[in-house]
Amino acid sequence: MTKKKIYSLDKNYSADIFFKRPDKYKEIEIESSKFDNIITMGSCNSYTPASFRKNALSIQLTKFNRIIEFDKNQKLITVEAGIMLSDLFNFTLARGLWVPQIPGYPTITIGGAIASNSHGKSCGFHGTIKKQIKRIKIFHKLHGWLNLSNEENRDIFDLTIGGLGLTGSIVEVQLRLEELSGNNFVTKIIKTDSSSDAVKKINFDVKKETYCYSWNRSDSFKNFGKGFVFQNELNVSSNNKLTKNIKLNNSDINKNFIINFWNKYSVFFAQSVYQNYFKFFKSKQYEESFQKAIFPFIGKEFYFKLFGKKGFLESQIIVPFDKTEIFIDEVETIFKKHDPLITLYSLKNFKGEQKNLRFENDGICFTFDFVKNSKNLFFMNKLDKICEKYHLTPSIIKDSRLKLETIEKCYKDFNRFKEEINKFDNKRIYKSTLTDKLMI
Amino acid sequence: MSNLIIGASSGLGREIAYEFARNSKNLILISRNLKDLEILKSDLEIKFKIEVNVFQLDFSDLNEVSKFILDNTKVLEKIDGVLFPIGMMKENDNVKNSNDDLISIFSANFYSINFFISHILNIFEEKKDGFIVGFGSISGAIGREINVSYSSAKRALENYFESLIISNLKNHIKVQFYILGYIDTNLSFGKKLLLPKGSPVNLAKIVYKNLGKKGIKKFFPFWWIFIDMAIKILPFFITKKIIKFFN
Ligand SMILES: Cc1cc2nc3c(=O)[nH]c(=O)nc-3n(C[C@H](O)[C@H](O)[C@H](O)COP(=O)(O)OP(=O)(O)OC[C@H]3O[C@@H](n4cnc5c(N)ncnc54)[C@H](O)[C@@H]3O)c2cc1C
Repeated sequence: MTKKKIYSLDKNYSADIFFKRPDKYKEIEIESSKFDNIITMGSCNSYTPASFRKNALSIQLTKFNRIIEFDKNQKLITVEAGIMLSDLFNFTLARGLWVPQIPGYPTITIGGAIASNSHGKSCGFHGTIKKQIKRIKIFHKLHGWLNLSNEENRDIFDLTIGGLGLTGSIVEVQLRLEELSGNNFVTKIIKTDSSSDAVKKINFDVKKETYCYSWNRSDSFKNFGKGFVFQNELNVSSNNKLTKNIKLNNSDINKNFIINFWNKYSVFFAQSVYQNYFKFFKSKQYEESFQKAIFPFIGKEFYFKLFGKKGFLESQIIVPFDKTEIFIDEVETIFKKHDPLITLYSLKNFKGEQKNLRFENDGICFTFDFVKNSKNLFFMNKLDKICEKYHLTPSIIKDSRLKLETIEKCYKDFNRFKEEINKFDNKRIYKSTLTDKLMI
Repeated sequence: MSNLIIGASSGLGREIAYEFARNSKNLILISRNLKDLEILKSDLEIKFKIEVNVFQLDFSDLNEVSKFILDNTKVLEKIDGVLFPIGMMKENDNVKNSNDDLISIFSANFYSINFFISHILNIFEEKKDGFIVGFGSISGAIGREINVSYSSAKRALENYFESLIISNLKNHIKVQFYILGYIDTNLSFGKKLLLPKGSPVNLAKIVYKNLGKKGIKKFFPFWWIFIDMAIKILPFFITKKIIKFFN
């Protein structure tokens, strides 16, 4: 079997792997039987090396992308786990239904979204995708085919959601769908003067179905936190069925330019242009298409490409509400001292209960993108210390640099999760570079 | 009325099924894997609101094919046409194949198709209409070290389809034959190949568009025609040297 070199989206990890993309059920069994180490791959859109490992088999399930059952009255859909979000939504949105807890890029698969317990823009209201999952069917090399739900194999069901593919290949999923009232969004822009101001404005009414996030400047200490809160609300006056299909951009999100274009000047320039565009050229309220609001990265793939071959780093941290002030204080202090190069700084609301390795908690989610250099790595290590000190929740699927030590301190269930995985898969067949780092 | 696709559960067959479904055509799908067929049926029926019937049948077993034909005469009488995007390869298919391997490879890639068409032709002749689409392989252009029986069967199939085209020039039965180079299916997935792969989605579109045409023999991707011509023009002693050089 031929090998293939593969990279994580952030370009910090690569590996020569065995790669198979079966299109028959029997082939999942046959290919899995040939290898001692396996990991399931969705679209390989993860920032981290979550779906590959050196010399292991990455079994890509993107050909398992069909709809198996659809019950409009009960709002239930059963799909194969390799279905991309765009294909799923092109079907459900035309029927006024969807899953709100989906990540912001349409080529991501449902299997990948489940294995990372994804969240959407309305996570302060809808929580994570875990809420929508009724049933899962997995294939595990040692256990064969297993049905998982709250009624059947409950423990494995719980380990599988946000389980980074460690319980085997998710092949089928039954999802609860939500009604979508309207086919586009009304977006309100609210100016923010600081990070604290952004937190206040983002956390205005979590009981309302709002898709809320902020964009904040990060080019200098003086500007840090200035920006906007974007509140997307469903435009109920519009027709509630989406007639236009989600269009994928042909641009490959995993491909980069050779050199890095981000530096102090380009970040300052880009952020000034962006801020002034919204300040002077965009009205305070405007209509936005479903695609633009929910999948904001379509057509903006060049953002990732601009980091060049060296790639980038992302840190995403959930900070409980009562700790946001102290967190902002600490971050501003280290920002002032170390002057990191942050290309993106954004906030959103979060709702959930932290369990296993799931990125979930009640609070505000802070996101920072960094150019990969030693100064920024140093700054990120400082961020880790803040996470450890205040028991915050850093995202494992986004930050490929995150250390085991930090994860152990921030995820109270880490050791129990590891034990349960070892018990279920006592030969530790399903592994990735990411989970090797976590020593699971 | 329905369209019959043999080998529909994966690869090109699956893409052809989607192309027909997009054009609102009812389908009868046949393959060895019932589970895959049933999932495909659900997806096609849910998305395209067409009628799909599925049958599990192993084309590498001629007796099974014969029984299927006898048991399903009524079903077969109602079809508009039949497509054979089917191909069976085996590991270690070389010049020293076992009897069992020879029989199954030749049955799946040649005998069963030939046998099936013989029966279908009677139905189409009576109806004075119908289409038959076959798929060969560029591997049949010349002898080789691997996939020996597969490529021999594909060469035989090409010959048979040429005969089929010639025998049906004067009636309303439309026969088409596509000779395939590298196609982007799971068989070629991850392999480093000398030439680019053709898209099965595009091929499915071409096949559907050409259904009304009579007596077609085409290469896909098209550039394989030049390679095929070169192989046929060159004397074997030169071809032999080239193969030796690349090995
Ligand atoms: C532009 C962009 C925006 C994003 N926005 C968000 C966001 O808003 N919210 C959010 O939560 N995430 C977000 N993400 C992260 C993304 O949701 C996850 O990385 C997701 O897991 C990627 O899915 P994938 O199909 O590419 O899977 P891969 O990257 O191939 O795999 C990711 C993980 O899922 C596992 N996996 C994949 N398929 C299966 C399966 N069938 N069975 C078992 N395990 C499987 C893999 O083993 C691996 O552990 C974003 C990513 C990008 C690139």
